[in-house]
Parts: sequence; C-alpha cells; structure tokens
Amino acid sequence: MEAVLWYVMTGTRGGENRVRILRAIDERPRNANRLAEELDLDYKTVRHHLDVLLENDIVENSGDEYGAVYLPTEQARDHWDTVEQIIEQVE
Amino acid sequence: MSIWVDLAKVSTGVNVLLLLVLGYIWGRNWLKFRSKHTLGLLIFSVFLLAENALVLYYYLVDPTLSGWWHDQVSVVWRAQMIIHGLQSFGLAFLVWVSWD
Repeated sequence: MEAVLWYVMTGTRGGENRVRILRAIDERPRNANRLAEELDLDYKTVRHHLDVLLENDIVENSGDEYGAVYLPTEQARDHWDTVEQIIEQVE
Repeated sequence: MSIWVDLAKVSTGVNVLLLLVLGYIWGRNWLKFRSKHTLGLLIFSVFLLAENALVLYYYLVDPTLSGWWHDQVSVVWRAQMIIHGLQSFGLAFLVWVSWD
C-alpha cells in the first residue's frame, strides 16, 4: 500500500492534485462537485483523479449514484502516516 | 537485416523521447515533493536516458560503429537491438501510467 501511495501521489503527473483531493476529503467527505469548487479544478479533472484513487483503493464512495460522497478507505487510513508525510511535502 | 537495424534505431530514438517525458514528470515532482521515492525514479530515468542517448550516438553518428550495423550485425548486437525494442514497450507503458 505504501508503494502504491507514493507512486500514485508523487510518481505521476496528476499526483499533486490527488494529494489536494485526499487532504480535502480527509477533512470532510465531499462529492465531486464540491471538490471541484473547493480546489478550483475542472469537474472532469476531479472525476478522473477520483477514479484513479478508487482504482488504487485509496478512496471509496458512499455509493449513491449521483452526488456520491468520497472518503479515504480503511486501507488508506491504516497508512495515514505515509499520506501525511506526502501531504507535508506538497505544502 | 537492414529493416532490423532501422527498427533498432527508431526504437532507441523513441526510448530517448519517452525517457525525456518521464524525466520531466519525475523531475517536476521531485522539485515539488523532494521525496526519496521520486528522486529514485528521476535517477533511474536520467541514467537510462544516458544509456539510450549513447546507443543512439553509436547507431547514427559514431564514424566507426554506425557503419557496422549495416554489414556485420553479430549475435550480441542483435540481442541488444531486441532489448532496445522491448524497452520501448516498457517505457511506453510507464509513460502511460505516469502521465495520468
């Protein structure tokens, strides 16, 4: 999991925005629309990053088809010190 | 044999381009994150870039070696060419997942 976190967040072009998304939903679970507003990103960009994070089991959603709320997975929580280390470096 | 020589040249050129893209992504991220993980990726891309650039020089420019590939390709050279071809697939995949 740690290697996945490091690669997805610091090895890829969109990593920085994925860090911002993860930090935002850690504060409070949000839907894609709110995230786009909050982080001043394109809605489609946010959706893409959320899909990557979902695919890598870093975030999960509440399951409501429309307006689903995203939050970190249990697995990401278990490695939150790694996430924090990454977040610190992007600040 | 010449088609294989051309393929080897093209794939080495492609490798150089792909490694420049990876170096750009990882270099930028390293400036941002300053983490040892990103630095490791960056170092990997820089060294593999140096290797491919050197081979490209041998294929295209070097006065002695550039002629060799066309008339006397040995088993050793052939194996090296195949490896450079395979590297293109590997690097293309890596660019695909990292450009994300």
